[in-house]
Amino acid sequence: MTGLMKNNLSAVFAGAKIFSIFMLLFGAFSVAVISQSLLIGFAMTGIIGFCVCAITASNEEFSSKWGKYKLTLPVTRADIVKSLYANFVIWLLTGTVFAGIGVSLSWLFHGCPFDYPVDILSMFALGISISLFMGAVYFPCFYCSGGEKSTVFFIISLLSAFGIVLVIVSITNDLLPELLSPGITVTLTGNAILFSGSLLAFLLSLPLTIRLFKRKEC
Amino acid sequence: MDYILEVERVCKTFPGRRNMKSAFTLDNVSFSLPYGSILGFVGENGAGKTTTIGCILNTIVKKEGTIKLFGREMKDGDTDLREKIGVVYDGDNFPSYWNAGELSQIMRGFYRNWDDSLFRFYLDRFQLPVGQKLKHYSRGMRMKLAIAAAISHHPQLLILDETTSGLDPIMRDEMLDIFLEFVQEEDHSILLSSHITSDLEKVADYITFIHNGKIIMTASKNDLVYNFAVMRLKESQFQALEPGDILAYRKRDLQIDVLVKNGKEAGRKYKDAVIDHTSIDEIMLLLIKGEQV
Repeated sequence: MTGLMKNNLSAVFAGAKIFSIFMLLFGAFSVAVISQSLLIGFAMTGIIGFCVCAITASNEEFSSKWGKYKLTLPVTRADIVKSLYANFVIWLLTGTVFAGIGVSLSWLFHGCPFDYPVDILSMFALGISISLFMGAVYFPCFYCSGGEKSTVFFIISLLSAFGIVLVIVSITNDLLPELLSPGITVTLTGNAILFSGSLLAFLLSLPLTIRLFKRKEC
Repeated sequence: MDYILEVERVCKTFPGRRNMKSAFTLDNVSFSLPYGSILGFVGENGAGKTTTIGCILNTIVKKEGTIKLFGREMKDGDTDLREKIGVVYDGDNFPSYWNAGELSQIMRGFYRNWDDSLFRFYLDRFQLPVGQKLKHYSRGMRMKLAIAAAISHHPQLLILDETTSGLDPIMRDEMLDIFLEFVQEEDHSILLSSHITSDLEKVADYITFIHNGKIIMTASKNDLVYNFAVMRLKESQFQALEPGDILAYRKRDLQIDVLVKNGKEAGRKYKDAVIDHTSIDEIMLLLIKGEQV
């Protein structure tokens, strides 16, 4: 597993390095300028962007014989898939930390950038959920189809993630105020539903992907 | 005799896309590789060599048959068996954004017995730059690196799929020396798939011929080189042959080439026939392009 993790991290590293530079510049601008929408854009880009780096790097698996070669190494197919999921989570956390630092600095210099502090939590829940849904859709499709169609499945997974999140948000926005007393509880519950739903989808897609990969011929 | 690899009646079918007719079938493939030897796996492009290797390494799921490595069937969870196997594929085995140093670091995470000093030794021997990205390596350099990586965890079995194809003769010779050094250890073996038969003549102990997904012959190299022969016959001489003596024949403009298992015996039996020693290349041609009685 150590080898797989090293391999996955090194695969993403080159792309993530360039993306980090972009994020630093974007972050500096977002912190310097007092703009709520710019800060939301920065946070969302950070959280989702690093996950996109992780996903696009996994395409490399099929561009050389490395994907096939890996199967001859002393690792199981389940380990290979688990390592990809773990790698995805690592880059999701990296993006979240980037976004967190940007938002914290903005708060430090200009005060709370949102009307209510709880909105910051909603923003993070939204970004993390989109990323998790994207991973949950992409990885099974990737192992089902192979490398040739990975780009189209990436686009589909990203759009599906946005779609699923929008559906959940609209449902919770309609239902929760009727069920709970209005205020912070509604927002927190909505965030919790969104986050736990995406986490559940991500976790459930892991055994599905393992199963698909076990059948896959390279 | 103990075998490091036993392939028995392996079948695999790749369905064709249109009307699901079979496009390629591996048909009852059987052969064995003894400890301490090199088995050359010969066949034309598309004969089924890579598919067979895929079945051995579990990258392809076989339909029927058994494959035993070190005496047992290798399942996905048998990582201990894979510790004892080194593999080299034709082409790019590793991502092009790595360098040899990074490759070593990553391989150390995979193999318990990864020997960094041995890997460095081979890098020096092959004159491979450690810090240079693999995308800047030539094809020969990439193959050398793949071989260095395949043997630096002290495997017992090397499986090499078209490793020497596309390399110049000097580089091929260098590789073959490494393979011969590897099998100096009694418990080491190599399965060397290739269509460059001259390489196999230099190093192989046994040769298995595959054609259209079927094994057409397995024989020791010495047998093929010293005993097998080709009779150059006229039509009338050919008609006089006993069918049991003919392995394969091919009609040419002025003569008929007949492959026989034992040239000396054939010489004694058919005194007026011209009998030549043969090469593995010619044997392969006769077996594949020739006809059987």
